[in-house]
This record gives sequence, C-alpha cells and structure tokens, in this order.
Amino acid sequence: MSTAASRGWGRRLMDWLDERFDLSEPLEKFLRKPVPKHAIRWYFCLGGITFFLFVVQGITGILLSLYYRPTPEHAYESILFIMNNVRFGWLVRSIHSWSASLMVATCIGHMVRVYVTGSYKNPRELNWVVGMMLGILTLGFGFTGYLLPWDQRAFWGSTVGSEILGTVPWVGKTLLALLRGGQDVTGLTLVRFYGGHVLVLPSLMLIFLVLHFIIVRRQGISGPL
Amino acid sequence: MEGTRQVGRMRENQGQGGVTRRGFLKYLMVAFSAVATVVGVAVPVIGYLWPPKTQAGQAGGRVAVADEADLPVGKGQVFSVANKPVLVIHTPEGFRALSAVCTHLGCIVYWDEGRKVIACPCHAAFLTTNGAANPGPPPSPLSTLRVEVQGGRIYVEGGST
Repeated sequence: MSTAASRGWGRRLMDWLDERFDLSEPLEKFLRKPVPKHAIRWYFCLGGITFFLFVVQGITGILLSLYYRPTPEHAYESILFIMNNVRFGWLVRSIHSWSASLMVATCIGHMVRVYVTGSYKNPRELNWVVGMMLGILTLGFGFTGYLLPWDQRAFWGSTVGSEILGTVPWVGKTLLALLRGGQDVTGLTLVRFYGGHVLVLPSLMLIFLVLHFIIVRRQGISGPL
Repeated sequence: MEGTRQVGRMRENQGQGGVTRRGFLKYLMVAFSAVATVVGVAVPVIGYLWPPKTQAGQAGGRVAVADEADLPVGKGQVFSVANKPVLVIHTPEGFRALSAVCTHLGCIVYWDEGRKVIACPCHAAFLTTNGAANPGPPPSPLSTLRVEVQGGRIYVEGGST
C-alpha cells in the first residue's frame, strides 16, 4: 500500500515511454514468464546465479581496472596498492577473486543440471552449444585473470597452463607464440592477457549471453522429467 | 481484517493518511532494505573511487620512524618507510638503516640482538650491519638508506622505489 506511490511513479514513467515507443506489450511477452512448477528448485537457479556473478565480476572488474597497471614493473605493485592503500580495495579485489572461482563452480553446476534433466536435447541443442561457448569464455576469464597479479604463482601458472597449447600437433608452437606474444611469458603476455580479460572476452561474453537468454525465452525451459 | 484487540490500537495509530500497521511495517522493511543496500554498496564504491592517501614520505621523502630513546645502543627494529620495510639498528658507531628485504628470496630480515647480526628467518642468512652476507644465500648486500637524528627523533630517507 505504501509502495503504491512509487508504483504510481513507475507506472507513469512507463506510460510516458509507451506513448513514444510502445514498449510494454513486447516487453511483457518477454519478461512475464511464470516459472513452471517443476522448475522451482534451487538447482534451477544455478544459471541465474552464474549470470549474477558475471555482473558482480563486471562491476568489481571495472573498479579494479582503475588502479591496476598491466606492466611487469607495476602490475604486482599496483595490486599491493589496491590491497593496502585504496579504501575497500581489499574488499573489491577479494570479491572479484572469490566470485571468479564461484562463477566457474556455478557454471559447471548449471551444466550438470542441464545434462541431468536432459534439457540439452532437441529442440534445445543450439542453446547447449551457446552455453558451451559461455563455459569456455568463463574458463578463459579465469585463465587470463590468473596471470594479472604477476606474482610467482601467476607467472608459473600461466607458463604451465599455456604450455598445454604447445602440445597441439603441427601448429602447437605457433599457437603458443600467438597466445604468449613471443616464445616465453613476458610483459607482452601480460598486456595480451589483460586486453583479452577486459575487452575481448567481455564483448564475446555479452554476445553469447544475449543469445543464450533470447533462445531460452523463445523456447521456454524443458518440461518435467 | 485483524483481531479486535488490535483494532483499537490501529485506530489510535491511524493518521489522516490512513496508514495501517501492516502498511507501515511493510514501508519500514522496504525502506530499511533500500537504505542498507544503497549504503552497503555506495560507501565501498565511493570510498574506493576517492583518491587514496599517499603516505607521507613516498619515494625520497624523510620519515620520522621513532624517538632516539626508544632505540638504545644494541637494539634494532623494522619500520615501515614509504611502504617498504626498513631495519634501523643502533650500533655503537651510530644509527644504520637498511632495506629489510632479503636479497635472496625477499623475506623480511630482523636484528638478532644476541649475536649482533642481521638475520633472515627463511634460509638462515646472517648479515653484518653493513648489509653484507658472510657466506650465505643472499646474492647481494642489503641496500643502505640515509638515517639521521634530529631533535631526538630518528629520520630515515625513503629509497627511490
């Protein structure tokens, strides 16, 4: 009742927009989808949680990029600065680090749920493929982000991790050089990973996320087992 | 809609706007959640964006670390100078200040009062007050910083980095 005033406000704003863009009707169809009874289970929330964590990563990541410096000389130092000198810097970086790990976990959980309920089957095969892309991108985020602190663990983690690419038959060495920006993990690798982490991967992620959501809305979620 | 017992009190609480108890509590809860969320998110974010304090005596500046009286001859202590650990030792010849970061693997060294040497806890390196290692792991001596006493206070000049 008390929120009636604010609802009236929103209503009037919506009317104003409707008059100009006729938004309500198409949006209504898209947003008002009651959750089927069989899907009211916590494990049907894993995908949504993954998306929520992605949003958290976006916000904390943007904040971190304001102080982080992707050069061999300053990377580690800027991390120390964030942790020790910036107010709430420890909080922002810790949230970024923890929800990164959580995001991988919930992403895998979501995948397992879709697999177990058989939701990937006809006619939803393509959304499974899009989901796989999102999963790979998530791992890509984890892999590139791991190098950024530029400490011993990051350096050797990325050295060993990227080494795996070198084992691809025929083109392995070329791919490895392409990934590292040279033969070894150097400052060039650091900027490369940083660029991928903050520009390339987020752009791809957004494209596939939109696809993922449009498809699931278009097809609805799969029926009960 | 509610028990008769409450009706009387409700009427009492009912202002001209006709706010019910339920409505009021709902409003309170929504308002509290909204305020808590805004404060909980806005405070860290604004605090984060606010230009951070750069410590007095960043690179090159002089920092007062302690009173002369706090560090009698034979004592040594690690202080933070421009965010870097610095070991200040009071030798019979006067004060000495050295970077407290071991050149071997970066552990923080300490002053061993009994043996009158600088010791590294990680790999048992022992260094003279000049910062040089008698045969031991550190590949190079600890860098020395300028230290002076003025008006009973010990001042250390921060290194370049």
